Amino acid sequence: MDSSLLFNIATLLYLAAMVLYISYLAFKKNGIGQVASIVTYAGFAIQTFALLTRWRESYQMDIGRIPLSNLYESLVFFTWSTVLLYIIIEFKYKTRAFGAFVLPVAFLALAFINVAGISNDITPLVPALKSNWLFYHVLISFFGYAAFGVAFAVSMIYLLLDTDERGPVVNIVAGIVALLVLASVGYVMAGNGLKTAFWLGLGVLVLAWFIFLIVSGAKHKAQIYLFWSFCVTLAIGMLVALGIDFLYLKAFQHIEAGESLKKHLFEATFVNPSTPVVFISWAAVVGLLFLIWFQGMRLKTFLKQYVPPLNQLDEVTYRMIAVGFPLLTGGIITGAVWANSAWGTYWGWDPKETWSLITWFVYAIYLHARYVRGWKGSQMAVISAVGFLAVIFTYLGVNLVLSGLHSYGGMN
Amino acid sequence: MENKKGFVDIFSERVWKFFSSVKLAVVLLIILAIVSVIGTVIAQNEAPEKYLQEYSQAFVNLFEVLGFFDMYHTWWFVLLLFLLTANLTVCTLDRLPPTLKIITAPLKPIEDESLKALPFKREIIIKAGRGKAEELSVKTLTRHRYRFITTGGPDETQLVTQKGVYSRLGYIITHVSILLVFIGALLGAFFGFKAFLNLPEGRASKVVYLRNEPMWDKIMDTLGVAKSPVIPAADGGLPAMPIGYYVVCDSFDVDYYINAAGIPTGMPSEYHSTLSVYDLQERKILDKRIRVNDPLSYHGITFYQSSFGAIPEGKGKIKLNVRRKNSPAAQTEPVVLDPGQAVYVPSIDRTFKALSFNPYGIRNPATGQVQFFQTENNEFINPTVELEVSRGKGSKPLYKTFIMKTEAGEPSFPEDYTIEFVEYWGARYTGLQVTKDPGVWVVYTGFIMLCVGPVIAFFGSHKKLWVRIQDRKGQTVVTVAGSANRNRIGFEREFNKIADELAK
Ligand code: HEM
Repeated sequence: MDSSLLFNIATLLYLAAMVLYISYLAFKKNGIGQVASIVTYAGFAIQTFALLTRWRESYQMDIGRIPLSNLYESLVFFTWSTVLLYIIIEFKYKTRAFGAFVLPVAFLALAFINVAGISNDITPLVPALKSNWLFYHVLISFFGYAAFGVAFAVSMIYLLLDTDERGPVVNIVAGIVALLVLASVGYVMAGNGLKTAFWLGLGVLVLAWFIFLIVSGAKHKAQIYLFWSFCVTLAIGMLVALGIDFLYLKAFQHIEAGESLKKHLFEATFVNPSTPVVFISWAAVVGLLFLIWFQGMRLKTFLKQYVPPLNQLDEVTYRMIAVGFPLLTGGIITGAVWANSAWGTYWGWDPKETWSLITWFVYAIYLHARYVRGWKGSQMAVISAVGFLAVIFTYLGVNLVLSGLHSYGGMN
Repeated sequence: MENKKGFVDIFSERVWKFFSSVKLAVVLLIILAIVSVIGTVIAQNEAPEKYLQEYSQAFVNLFEVLGFFDMYHTWWFVLLLFLLTANLTVCTLDRLPPTLKIITAPLKPIEDESLKALPFKREIIIKAGRGKAEELSVKTLTRHRYRFITTGGPDETQLVTQKGVYSRLGYIITHVSILLVFIGALLGAFFGFKAFLNLPEGRASKVVYLRNEPMWDKIMDTLGVAKSPVIPAADGGLPAMPIGYYVVCDSFDVDYYINAAGIPTGMPSEYHSTLSVYDLQERKILDKRIRVNDPLSYHGITFYQSSFGAIPEGKGKIKLNVRRKNSPAAQTEPVVLDPGQAVYVPSIDRTFKALSFNPYGIRNPATGQVQFFQTENNEFINPTVELEVSRGKGSKPLYKTFIMKTEAGEPSFPEDYTIEFVEYWGARYTGLQVTKDPGVWVVYTGFIMLCVGPVIAFFGSHKKLWVRIQDRKGQTVVTVAGSANRNRIGFEREFNKIADELAK
């Protein structure tokens, strides 16, 4: 059997598991939950087998390398590690409540990849990438990202449950106006070659808001709710946009074998050459943001019945970060050792390295903020969310926004 | 007594307190996280013209003053790192004595007073009497793999136990490892260097060209203590660093991925150079074939394969191997000739003339026709030579043939010998990255500890447990109490299980 068939079967099983977990939440029947778990385990087993098969296939093609070198394989692996982590959590905490949130992510990511079926041909590596350290680097980093992803999801639930009301409509209107103004300013400035100034300014604004939220956060629940809406919009919007990308690239663009899809990120939506498409994409994001902000309280009443109390959510976030932090550390270290074996410098302050260090700092802040008196769960959840935003930026934003010198290649 | 403290004492106490605060750590980490962003948005160490293309003159001047073009080496960024290091050192030292005290503290029976403060406790009445209760407690603790000490007198017995004391060391290991990484980086900056060397095939060098000079040499030279070994740059070049031996490039080559039809694609799979080391008396010491990710190290200096290029107007030599069919592989005769040159090959009594050399030839397997392609960057993807073979010392040409590095199938030869393409040698140089970093092992030690420390800190848990068995008014009362510094939920589960088993 070839790996793509196996991947398809795993995807269908995850779809079934997703439906089952959601019905379990809705009907509260334990039987459904058990079936959901069994289906998840089966999907996971098959996906594991598929990964191994793909690895073997690469050896049969005489290229022989780990299935982790392009976006396709990375995403497959990402879903695999997310499901693995989820299964561990289900075992340890004996709750199936998170399944309804984790499985959709796994299914959507796999569906995009499979529907599009893009760039899944096994391509050879350039010399600098042929290193065991690189393998460990990618592997460990992905596990770390998965753990932080779960921490992010739990923090999102925490922040939602911690909010009493969504606050005045002025908030969301102001947020959307800010978004629109920034988008148009960004558009104009990019045209004028003031990109750097724009990104620096935007960065300063966003950071100022984060710090405001963290330092005085407990007092500004409505602001935190707005932050929550932004984060959820970002997560959902990005997943959907990635899916559209895959479809679009498959249907209309010819991607050369071996070319990294990362170079084409969001070409179908936010960076499309056609202005109307860009406009519609942004409008859709704004609409989504408003919808999420508007309906959040409903989601809250729904969720409240199923998820554990706040202090346990806080604990789960901490445990996940406690898993992710050593992995991120290991990822950075193996990356440094690889760089040292390839060109004799373990640290070069290139954007990707620096952003992984920034991410590391943010989670170090999370770990130490616990020892600062007066910082509470909601503030910790905000830090955890900011950490994951940094993860996303490290993984995608550096290539997309900053001239990705590193761009997975180094020597190409 | 207060006023006896001198100003210096008060001052140093204040400083110590300031630097031992976790709040400062959080503030410093936030600042570091934020300012680090700047250097990822503004490209670092570009040529001045490039900056002027992107920013106006005013901005370029401003960024220049702030050091944004080489931000991670500015005094203020380095100062931030030093502050964090000071914070880390002081904080860790400050907490070291209490932590050690916890680790070395002997196990003590619990008293009513301290019992109150414990987060987990339960009282159980056991009807079967004290002896049975003790037996049961011992069994239960043993089953949960606690090793305990027993204390007590006539009216009470206590089993005292703990697990995972050493997990208290986790954060210390973490913090020390970060200090080691810092120290290692400093050692590298002071005593190491980064350099490069473009070495043509067949040539030797006893210097490398510096990108940064060791800071120590520079300082000592400036102070007039010791002269720096660095040879200053001649007109516009880079300063040279003597390495104390010769390094020679014996050969350089690139391998390419072969596609399904057996033809090399333009995609490199490996770069490699064979390097030899000779001492200054020109005695050979060693050689090594280096690849990307597999450098040569000698006397603390490491040579990494990093690039290659053509020597301006450099002419290469064609190297071939000739072997009679049906003779063992060892009986080959090497043939070396320049493009255009003719050479007599005694073992087969033929004369070879190289008519042409091409960097990328592909033979059509169906027709046998050979086609040539252009390459970029002086790449020899499938070097091909056209040979004219004539009898004896070169009378009439017998036949012409193409000899190439990689043939799609078995090449055929009209006479009873084979010709193998070895290399086209001497037209290119290998680009080597050369570094000396005496701090790297300190950094790596830090790395290893950094992998271990957080894991111990997060997944270890210092758990304490007391089981007190008392006779009270004719009843046997067992009090179980415990605490854990981490993963309280997990410990609560374990605690309840133990208590339940005792209550049975
Ligand atoms: C990049 C820098 C740093 C890293 C990566 C780091 C890492 C860690 C880690 C992994 C832990 C264990 C956390 C936990 O168990 O939740 C820890 C604990 C701690 N760190 Fe740091 N640390 C850093 C800097 C600092 C600094 C500058 C201070 C100075 C105040 C500090 C003070 C502490 C304290 C007080 C603890 C708690 C110890 C305890 O468990 O009682 N850390 N650190």
